[in-house]
Amino acid sequence: MERTVTVVPEDGLHARPAAKFVETATEFDADVRVAPADGDDPVDAASMLAVTSLGVASGEDVRLIAEGDDAEAALDDLEELLATPETESAAESSSGT
Amino acid sequence: MAANESAPRSHAGTGVTPLSGVGSAVWYDPNADLELGEPPAAEAVDPDAERERFEDARDRARAELERERERTAERVGEDEAAVFDAHKQFVDDPQIIDGVEAAVDDGLPAEHAVDAAFEDPIAQFEGMDGRMAERADDLRDVRDRLLRLLTDADRVDLASLSTGSILLAERLTPSDTAQLDPERVAGFATIEGGRTSHAAIFARSLGIPAVVGVGDDLESIDDGTDVLVDGEDGTVIADPTPDQRERAAGGRDVEIREEPVATADGRAVEVAANVGTLAELEGAVAQGADGIGLFRTEFLFLDREAPPDEDEQFEVYREALAAFPEGRVVVRTLDVGGDKPIPYLETPDADNPFLGQRGIRRSLGPDADLFETQLRALLRAAAAESGTLSVMFPMVATVPELEAALETVADVAADLESEGIEHERPELGAMIETPGAAFIAEELAERVDFLSIGTNDLTQYVMAAARENERVADLRDPCEPAVLRAIERTVAAADAGDAWVGMCGEMAGDSDLAPLLVGLGLDELSMSAVTIPEVKAAIADLETDAAEALANRATDAATRTTVYEHVNTTTDQ
Repeated sequence: MERTVTVVPEDGLHARPAAKFVETATEFDADVRVAPADGDDPVDAASMLAVTSLGVASGEDVRLIAEGDDAEAALDDLEELLATPETESAAESSSGT
Repeated sequence: MAANESAPRSHAGTGVTPLSGVGSAVWYDPNADLELGEPPAAEAVDPDAERERFEDARDRARAELERERERTAERVGEDEAAVFDAHKQFVDDPQIIDGVEAAVDDGLPAEHAVDAAFEDPIAQFEGMDGRMAERADDLRDVRDRLLRLLTDADRVDLASLSTGSILLAERLTPSDTAQLDPERVAGFATIEGGRTSHAAIFARSLGIPAVVGVGDDLESIDDGTDVLVDGEDGTVIADPTPDQRERAAGGRDVEIREEPVATADGRAVEVAANVGTLAELEGAVAQGADGIGLFRTEFLFLDREAPPDEDEQFEVYREALAAFPEGRVVVRTLDVGGDKPIPYLETPDADNPFLGQRGIRRSLGPDADLFETQLRALLRAAAAESGTLSVMFPMVATVPELEAALETVADVAADLESEGIEHERPELGAMIETPGAAFIAEELAERVDFLSIGTNDLTQYVMAAARENERVADLRDPCEPAVLRAIERTVAAADAGDAWVGMCGEMAGDSDLAPLLVGLGLDELSMSAVTIPEVKAAIADLETDAAEALANRATDAATRTTVYEHVNTTTDQ
């Protein structure tokens, strides 16, 4: 199955968002691939190297393709991750004043 | 200049901290030991054994990265720490692993295979610009870590540099910078790197004088040379003249006053330090702190499998008090629940954890046991040393929350009493970090000994501008009139309730704002230790009348711009 999602985090698929994306993609019993929506071949979502080399920026659309038992759950989680601004999910708290 | 003195040479780069330091140059070449040489003949290599060595190196790399991640989260912040998550992903990258295994099957030992497998990806990212080029740095960092583990190469221990070293390097990776100890490193300069590089971010966060992006010129400085790093001007000077040293020190290396300060007309203001670990206590004492205005206790709970027990905590609090036998140590009870994961605490996902169950909300809920243990340790420590121990609760928003916390303290005291354990009731306070707390500051002040304003959180909540969101960074300014009025309210409420009032957000450490804060009526200012000497100097120069007049103009202002105009007019006089 497949769906198209807009990347919301400001860093796009880089740094922390990319690390979280790869981590999530490997949590499920599914083969997940990702590609920029406007072309290019999909790459392995379990590869940090492959994901960051796509150079996807904030606001761009990506295609997520998943196969396997958990395909739907994987797509749900990845979609949610990509739709969440980094500031809400990741900001530091405990050194706060 | 005397003829036998070598001529100073100056190199320009990008200054990343408004600090300067002088010391002895130490060149850092992390790869000196990583020359691999020629691989042995393919027949001599056992691919299965090499795969195993590679697996083992990956395991150890992950463990190292986990430790560095925690250390960085504690010292610098979650944002910077996240880079190590990315590194872990590279260690486990299927593309890299496939590449290494293919090379091993071709008869290369694991270290040569790793070197080969990273070559193309690094070259691929190197050719790109901006953040893509930064990925090449990350990949090099990961590759070198694996190579070091595979070859048992010693890692240069940056944490144990001699005191007074000026570190010189081509570039500093996240792994390098995570090791820097501001007590030992008098400054650093790098050939590459910009304002947003990891090295720059760490330097700012740790208060280390630093200049980055100097270029190849830097190589003309030899090990052991006297070097001045001026992070304000962005210059690196080899063999600086006494004049240059003095100029660089001027205005920054302010006299360290160990005594408490008062304004020129005699109003005392306590100047204290914010600390996050015991290691930082020494720095606070050295900079002339009167005490600790914010002792974050999270470090005690992070990076471990189970919470610290009562005795372990007691020792830490006692040690903090012992550092300031005549001062005050304000301890903040555990403030977790944003997103910092603590393995043994259940922290459910929330859409916006910063508006969720954190701070006192957790202490009165799921972490009630931890809270009680922490309070027991604190009450015992209060009786054990001569200084004043104060305890404050983070994220208070309602009177019942504060009352429940105070009741827990009373219960804990009663328990200790009945157990015959020596203890003392500490000073108790509420943090003013939420607009809710600022609006009911009168009611809070009546119930406690002190209030402490955490301007970082207060500002983000008053302005509804998240701390990590760069798009609203300009709104996140404590000089916004709305924030100043919340502070004004809080101070008035503290006065009416006979409580003292302090500030422990970043605003408190800005010496330009000291007149405004003293004018607003704060009794205590708490900050990063490095800014204490400047703030003390600024306070000593003040006339209270003028400061109060400034505060009145500032809180009446309609815009932040006007506030800064008033502040600058006062400073320039």
